[in-house]
Amino acid sequence: MIILTVRTFSLLSNEYATEGIRSMITAQIEVSGLAKRIGDVEAVRDVTFVAAPGRVTGFLGPNGAGKSTTLRILLGLARSDSGTALIGGRRYAELPDPTGTVGAVLDLAGAHPAMTARGHLRAYCALGGHDAGRVEAVAELTGMSEYLDRRVGGFSTGMRQRLSLATALLGDPAALVLDEPSNGLDPAGIVWLRTFLREFAAKGGTVLISSHVLTELQHGIDDLVLIDRGRTTWSGPLDAFTARGTSLEEAFLELTSGVESSPVPTATATPNATEGIRA
Amino acid sequence: MTRLLRGEVAKLFATRLPLWSLVTAALCGGGLTGLLSLIGPENATPPLPGLGAAEGVGIVVGMSGLLLFVPALIGTIAVTGEYRHRTIGTTFLAAPRRGRVLAAKLIVFGGLGVGYGVVSSLFAGLAVAAGAAVQGVELGVPLADLVALLARIALAAAVYMVLGVAIGALARHQLLAVGIVLGYFYFLEHVLMIIPGVNVIHPFLPGGATAALTDFTFLGDAIAEQLPMAAASTTSPLVGALVLLGYAVVAAWLAIAIPLRRDLR
Repeated sequence: MIILTVRTFSLLSNEYATEGIRSMITAQIEVSGLAKRIGDVEAVRDVTFVAAPGRVTGFLGPNGAGKSTTLRILLGLARSDSGTALIGGRRYAELPDPTGTVGAVLDLAGAHPAMTARGHLRAYCALGGHDAGRVEAVAELTGMSEYLDRRVGGFSTGMRQRLSLATALLGDPAALVLDEPSNGLDPAGIVWLRTFLREFAAKGGTVLISSHVLTELQHGIDDLVLIDRGRTTWSGPLDAFTARGTSLEEAFLELTSGVESSPVPTATATPNATEGIRA
Repeated sequence: MTRLLRGEVAKLFATRLPLWSLVTAALCGGGLTGLLSLIGPENATPPLPGLGAAEGVGIVVGMSGLLLFVPALIGTIAVTGEYRHRTIGTTFLAAPRRGRVLAAKLIVFGGLGVGYGVVSSLFAGLAVAAGAAVQGVELGVPLADLVALLARIALAAAVYMVLGVAIGALARHQLLAVGIVLGYFYFLEHVLMIIPGVNVIHPFLPGGATAALTDFTFLGDAIAEQLPMAAASTTSPLVGALVLLGYAVVAAWLAIAIPLRRDLR
């Protein structure tokens, strides 16, 4: 499969609020027929979807559906048994400037508690081969400038998530991949993140964000990819999903339970409106 | 590769590990040697040759070689910390060619190991000189010989740190890796040293090679005095150095080659 990457220059590149995110080379994410067995479990059986530049794509599924495994394969941290996961037409390991192409916010990508945030960002800036000035820039972008000289060990979960996002932005990437980034964020933090990702996408960036909580995604995404038991069961614009006539929750349950006609157990059929569906 | 080296150096110096390593080196190098020098080896039970004899200096300085598991542990803890704190994911995202990442790490820690060895040997040298001065005896070896011996111990420290990094990269789990290092140097190697028949391989084990490199056969000789058997032999210092470097190369190669295909979880 050949992907043409188009150099686009956003008209908004000088907007004050997002200074530091330059106009970018776009990078489409394309996952096709992905499969991976972990031990006896087929963690991922057939995952296929596209996350397009300029759009926020939600990657939704119950716990254990294969979201994290898919993202790890996409980011070169795990190997697939078959299928492809490409960013801008290349596998992650083949990207000439990986962190300058994709930024990742993962549970797996932590920070050493003994380092200050500045020390952490400097080290990974050097490792990624980015300009040292990016450290201040990403701290500004993620609102953690005043925390730069504190040790990571004393950070709240919310601050860790911001540091993780700041690390992901060091290379000024064209795509962002976030695995359950809202875990540990307070409501204000979630709104802030949503706004940030919208602005990132508005500049032509590709955003792929996973969650197991439907209501967390429904306000911030353009496209939706549903995954259940290792298979993508639905993908397309969010509008098309909600236009199915049923409520979001019903549609989600129908598409992730795999049994369309049978009644859904009461416990999961009446999801808590504030928490969304936690499978 | 320059980028990876710079990244690993930045990572190392973002923690207090270099500082604590050198403080530890000073304590390990100066501590045991200093204590024994001040007491005077001839006052030990059973009495050892004094500092006025070459043998006495060798034993006292070689004592710092007994603490070579310390640089190994520093390397092990540093590299397994990457897995423990899950920073290895961030590292492999920035540099997906894992072999090069680990090669850079081994080089950087080799450098820290040299620093450790130099500081440790410097303090061991100062300690033995101070001990001799306090007792009013002339050191039993010419200065050049003492410096050469200390340099060999410093080299061994650097190799042990690289070995520690490699063991950590292979074991990944911090406690497991620390257990392997301590279990080997404190227990297994000594057991192998006293089993008749098996102890012929001792010169070619890391500890035996180290003993050859540092001319330190005190333990083996002491065991031989207690047991009805010949002391575990050692090879020449040069062969010992080559054997030790061989272990470092093999361990480094394994550490670079094996993690390449592993999935992060």
